[in-house]
Amino acid sequence: MCKWCFSHGTNGEKWYMNAKNYSNQLADEMNLKDYLSEQWQHYEQIYIRKIMGVSSKDLGYKLKMPIIGRVVRNMAENMIHSEKKNRKGVRADGHFGQVIPLEDGKIILSELAAEPIICNYCMCRWQRRGEKEAVCINFGALSEVIEKLPRFIPKDRAVRLDREAAVKQLEENNKKGYIASVWFQPVPYISAICSCENPECGAFTLRNSFDINIMYKAEYIISLNQDNCQGCKSCVSWCQLGALKYIPSMKRVIVDYDKCVGCGVCRHACENDALKLIPREEFPGYNGKY
Amino acid sequence: MGSKVKTKKLKKQLKEKRTKIRIDYSICGEDGKIDPRDCCKCLKVCDPAVFTMHSALDLKFKDPYDPQRWMITPQWGSLCTRCLKCVEVCPENAISIKW
Repeated sequence: MCKWCFSHGTNGEKWYMNAKNYSNQLADEMNLKDYLSEQWQHYEQIYIRKIMGVSSKDLGYKLKMPIIGRVVRNMAENMIHSEKKNRKGVRADGHFGQVIPLEDGKIILSELAAEPIICNYCMCRWQRRGEKEAVCINFGALSEVIEKLPRFIPKDRAVRLDREAAVKQLEENNKKGYIASVWFQPVPYISAICSCENPECGAFTLRNSFDINIMYKAEYIISLNQDNCQGCKSCVSWCQLGALKYIPSMKRVIVDYDKCVGCGVCRHACENDALKLIPREEFPGYNGKY
Repeated sequence: MGSKVKTKKLKKQLKEKRTKIRIDYSICGEDGKIDPRDCCKCLKVCDPAVFTMHSALDLKFKDPYDPQRWMITPQWGSLCTRCLKCVEVCPENAISIKW
């Protein structure tokens, strides 16, 4: 259980299984239509916008500077996790997320997410590759906000999805190799399930290249059954983080648990039933390491 | 005294130089010949995805619902591998890289 499960979860459940975090009542209380409109109208500018005098351009160099580097890192982390009242949408304060396996995503979309549920073009793919791919699933107060922005709306398919169609879309994305993730936007309100790709996803780049805590590992971790693994190597190319490696001398695959985020996408590739997701708590070496 | 000066010089030499990526915005950008949305070649060819396409920050033609002025910024300069594929692929030679 990560620390947000303790502060925003309920009854010993994970934070994204708490129905209150999806409610329209919460969105109205926190006046989120304004926050989300401001955030998504200018969203592509988030990386170049100067926030307290510093922009994210060339962040790698800025973070390496002796004292200023630490100041910038603290500023970024405080903004990302901010729960204050004066949060600004244009800076995406309080926006961070966690990787989830397909099963948890299906539960969220079929029971917890507030309708209307929409499917729109992923902003990250557009920004970093010029590709328009409708893999982003948004819901709650965010749906009506995004429907007003034509650049995100696909022309050749239905935008609003019913619960069954949304679950099917998430499964399709997962089987393509995309990593499902659920997002506080802003904390504690949950309004998005994204299907991320590394390095196109902004959050994965910030996490892997700059060690900024904006995307957390899942509450699960992969477990490889060594007896079942036949060494076919099908799973190795599926892992977006490079956590699976084939060892020729042992004729099987090994796992790098530092890199595994627990997305479970590799399971779709294994035909020998060798890959299984287990709760992170059952793995003593990596319990609590997000 | 002499050895102190030598180590300082050595340290300065070993200190990594920043990769400076420049895009000529008179060719590709909000006021340039080309709208980056029509091309996107440098975005696709860069393996670590250094470039980011975004709406221009200027206040002149502000249309938050459907911005029409877009530009590309070399966002994550520290990830640049200096392969120079972007310089090669740009049809208007708008990118220059120095280090």
